[in-house]
Amino acid sequence: MSFSLTTLILVSFGYLLLLFGIAHITERGIIPKRWVRHPVVYVLSLGVYAGTWAVYGAVGMAGEFGFGFIAYYIGISGAFLLAPVLLNPVLRIGRAYQLTSLADLFAFRYRSQWAGTLVTLLSAAAILSLLSMQIKAVADSAALLSPHTSPRMVGILFSVAMILFTVLFGARHEQGGDSHQGLVIAIAFDSLVKLSALLLLGAVLLYSVFGGLSGLDQWLASTSYSPSPFSQQLNDGGWRALMLMSFSAVLVLPHMYHMVFSENPSPKALAKASWGLPLYLFLLSLPVPIILWGGIALEAPTTASFYALGTTFSLNSPALTLVMYIAGLSAASGLMIVSTLALAGMVLNHVVLPLRPPREQSNIYSWLRWVKRLLVAIIIFASLLFYDWVGSRLDFSTLGILALSGALQLLPGALAVIYWPEGNRKGLIAGLLAGAGVWILGLVLPFSYAPDLLHRLGLPVVDPSNSHIYVFASLTLNVVVFALVSLLSRTSNEESSAAQACSLGALSRPRRRELLSGSSEEFKQQLAKPLGIAVAQREIDRALTQLRLPPVEYRPYQLRRLRDQIEVNLSGLMGPSVAQDIVKHHLGFKPQAGRGSGQDIHYIEKALGDYQSQLTGLAGELDNLRRHYRQTLQNLPIAACSVGDDGEILMWNHAMERITGIAADDVVGARLNALPDQWNEMLDDFVSGEELHRHKHRLDMKGRPRWFNLHKSTLSGPDHPEGGNVVLVEDQTETRLLEDELMHSERLASVGRLAAGVAHEVGNPVTGISSLAQNLKLETDNPDILQTADQIQQQTRRISRILQSLMNFARSGNHAQANRYEPAVIRRCVDESINLVSLSGKGRSLNYQNDCPEDLMVLGDEQRLVQVFVNLLANSRDASPEGSTIRVSGKREAYSAIIEVIDEGDGIPADQLDHIFEPFYTTKGPNQGTGLGLALVYSIVEEHYGNIQVESPVSDAGQGGTCIRLKLPAYEIEDDAQERSGIVD
Amino acid sequence: MYIYRLVFLLVLAVYIFSPNILDWLIQPGTAWYSPFVAWACLIAVGFWLEWRRDPNEF
Repeated sequence: MSFSLTTLILVSFGYLLLLFGIAHITERGIIPKRWVRHPVVYVLSLGVYAGTWAVYGAVGMAGEFGFGFIAYYIGISGAFLLAPVLLNPVLRIGRAYQLTSLADLFAFRYRSQWAGTLVTLLSAAAILSLLSMQIKAVADSAALLSPHTSPRMVGILFSVAMILFTVLFGARHEQGGDSHQGLVIAIAFDSLVKLSALLLLGAVLLYSVFGGLSGLDQWLASTSYSPSPFSQQLNDGGWRALMLMSFSAVLVLPHMYHMVFSENPSPKALAKASWGLPLYLFLLSLPVPIILWGGIALEAPTTASFYALGTTFSLNSPALTLVMYIAGLSAASGLMIVSTLALAGMVLNHVVLPLRPPREQSNIYSWLRWVKRLLVAIIIFASLLFYDWVGSRLDFSTLGILALSGALQLLPGALAVIYWPEGNRKGLIAGLLAGAGVWILGLVLPFSYAPDLLHRLGLPVVDPSNSHIYVFASLTLNVVVFALVSLLSRTSNEESSAAQACSLGALSRPRRRELLSGSSEEFKQQLAKPLGIAVAQREIDRALTQLRLPPVEYRPYQLRRLRDQIEVNLSGLMGPSVAQDIVKHHLGFKPQAGRGSGQDIHYIEKALGDYQSQLTGLAGELDNLRRHYRQTLQNLPIAACSVGDDGEILMWNHAMERITGIAADDVVGARLNALPDQWNEMLDDFVSGEELHRHKHRLDMKGRPRWFNLHKSTLSGPDHPEGGNVVLVEDQTETRLLEDELMHSERLASVGRLAAGVAHEVGNPVTGISSLAQNLKLETDNPDILQTADQIQQQTRRISRILQSLMNFARSGNHAQANRYEPAVIRRCVDESINLVSLSGKGRSLNYQNDCPEDLMVLGDEQRLVQVFVNLLANSRDASPEGSTIRVSGKREAYSAIIEVIDEGDGIPADQLDHIFEPFYTTKGPNQGTGLGLALVYSIVEEHYGNIQVESPVSDAGQGGTCIRLKLPAYEIEDDAQERSGIVD
Repeated sequence: MYIYRLVFLLVLAVYIFSPNILDWLIQPGTAWYSPFVAWACLIAVGFWLEWRRDPNEF
């Protein structure tokens, strides 16, 4: 059976176009997002790992080593089963710092561009072999299907197609953008095609050749297939080496790192992949023995590696042949596209950009895109050359071992990222060089160029069955050199801090240092130097949006966050080394003064907060304590803030928020000078001053004065060398106002006492004048003189009344007389008062209504209570219109007697309500009131431990009417009588 | 870190003895698919571990 080259080209291009179409409609958003980001798609996309090995290599290896072939799947399955401790930490670091490749991870962790470059070069060298294996698979399979076709020609055509499709798939966007969802879906589709084809072929062979499982068992039991490689004892060394290489593949192979970490939609998807990928590989390997046995049973006309095609020839099924060809093509193209894209990104970040940073004038995004396209072409062309010179002569197993053993050299460094913070860049580079040296000497050169090299050196000659010796030798040397050099050499502080940031469960403890730039606008000016103003603007706006910061940011803490975010974003765009370099040089810190500045407490708090319930054991308990003390400080009923020695606000509790009206989020991480002027002046002056306490500091806010007491204590101590202050702020405004009121009352009391004295002194001469006027009346009959004497007497009586009121007022407030209190019936007091008020000529047409219950009693001086009601009723009388009613009602409420005097007058204007109890304050006309009546009422009610309220207006219409409400302690006949008798007893 | 040491020791032990385990699984007289059954069991364990996993766990 044969196909024409044109048919194969058409089928191949048709399939690749279908793949591209799927990617295209995904990126256009036609496929729903929830499908694209579904864990099943992610798991299938990880099937890129198998490559053409799944279709061809595995069967070939099974034919030689029996079940040894599953080591290639078991190793990576183990790595995925250990995902929570092996892959999740790398995913976390990669997401946090936008590290899109292993070289990024190494350059970030080991703070070395050389580490990144070395990893890139080693990965490139190793991956060339894997890429040439894919080219070989497609070229050889096409040559089998179309015998007159040159594999070399197919290889060239396939490579050109791959360059085209890889550029179309992944190099259209700049790096650092969203993940390539179209690519992921296309690779997932590839994996599905590969799996379906293999399962289909396995099922066809099982039922058409062996007649089912029982037939297969019978066939295996027959002598037609002996000795079977499946019954041979395993090659322990080879198995272990392949398993280890496969285990490491998830971290060290560029395409696997890319698919597992860079294209990961969520940690949940990785958790599903922990069993999903092993399941996929299980299904992929299940038909392998059946295809091998089918090939043997059918005496397929190909080598075991190509039984997937050979069996279909024997079955004489062109459709099945084309399906298997497409499965191989699909596996090869998927792996090539992803590997090339991943490698191109690494070469760009770690070889091209360090050598030639992008110029300011050019459009960086477009420049990066074109360089990446060029790199894709170079990588695939290099693979083609490798295939042409070496790959075409080697079998799949050898090519696979060459690739995996080269990449394996990166495993010690990768594991040290998570598990060994002591490892340093010198150790890593030394270990990598040593391991790579043995790899080249023991595996690459003998397999590719000089087969007798090892023999000449007196070393065992290498072949696929004993290659594990050199695999282990290179790895062992790598690990030993890495460990020794790391332990013997010094690690820089920067590297230690990066190592801590990457370590499992570690928390980075950044220093709180001051940036040279004071705002996000200055960031833009600084970044415009290396990136150009447009890119700088776009990157800073993007970072501000990501951090949800305002368009212009000035707070030091937020600026440090912004700087970190810019570094992360630039790292995604041009790799961590270049990003670090740009940020370090253009967004630098001020030189540190003598001692180091404090740790960024807010940053640490935030990071600890993110851990939430992830902390367990002692760490969890300590975190609970931390939260408890933090809450205590936050909820402290006294306003408190903590200020670093550089003036940065580190803590701002709830009470402080209430007092100042400034939210903690707005000021924590900012300096004191970012506060509104009056607060800044007060706190800055106090914090920088010598005094530890300041009393009654006055702040005028919104036209109202407020007074604060300030206390501070320095934070430095034996356990806390970093300095800073904690400041307590007490709001004394109410106390101050009360004090003022008290002073006012004191002044009034003095005036009252003075008035009483004056009244007493004036009283005597007035009495004399009155007597003289009386005498005058007796000594004359002149009507004019008699009238004058009457008027004198009237005026002196008036003076006496005023003086009497004054003396009454001055006498009030003497609480000692409370001892003489007796039960007083309110109704009787009110009746007596009404009688007294009625005696006056005024207001005869008014109705006085006493609604007080008979049993309402208070403990007090009845005469003084009558005085209260007389004053209140007289006021009401004066305010009431003719014919209206003045009502006095009373009731008990719990332990209080409530008495209300309600009139139907004009009411009291609101602005006067606050003043009516002040002495000498009156709203009546001249010669009508002294302004002492209500002041006297107030004093007497106070003496009786009661209080008085005024409500005006009270009428239903809302106009006029006043209600004076007295609240006095009620007297209870039985209880109080018992108590009194008890006291007597 | 104790849990990680334990996991590390377990993984090392499984890795070292894996050829012997596979040899035992493919010894004469056993079904050809025995290694696949063992592998399927491993996947089932992985599934169970993922299923009962605390979402806040590392």
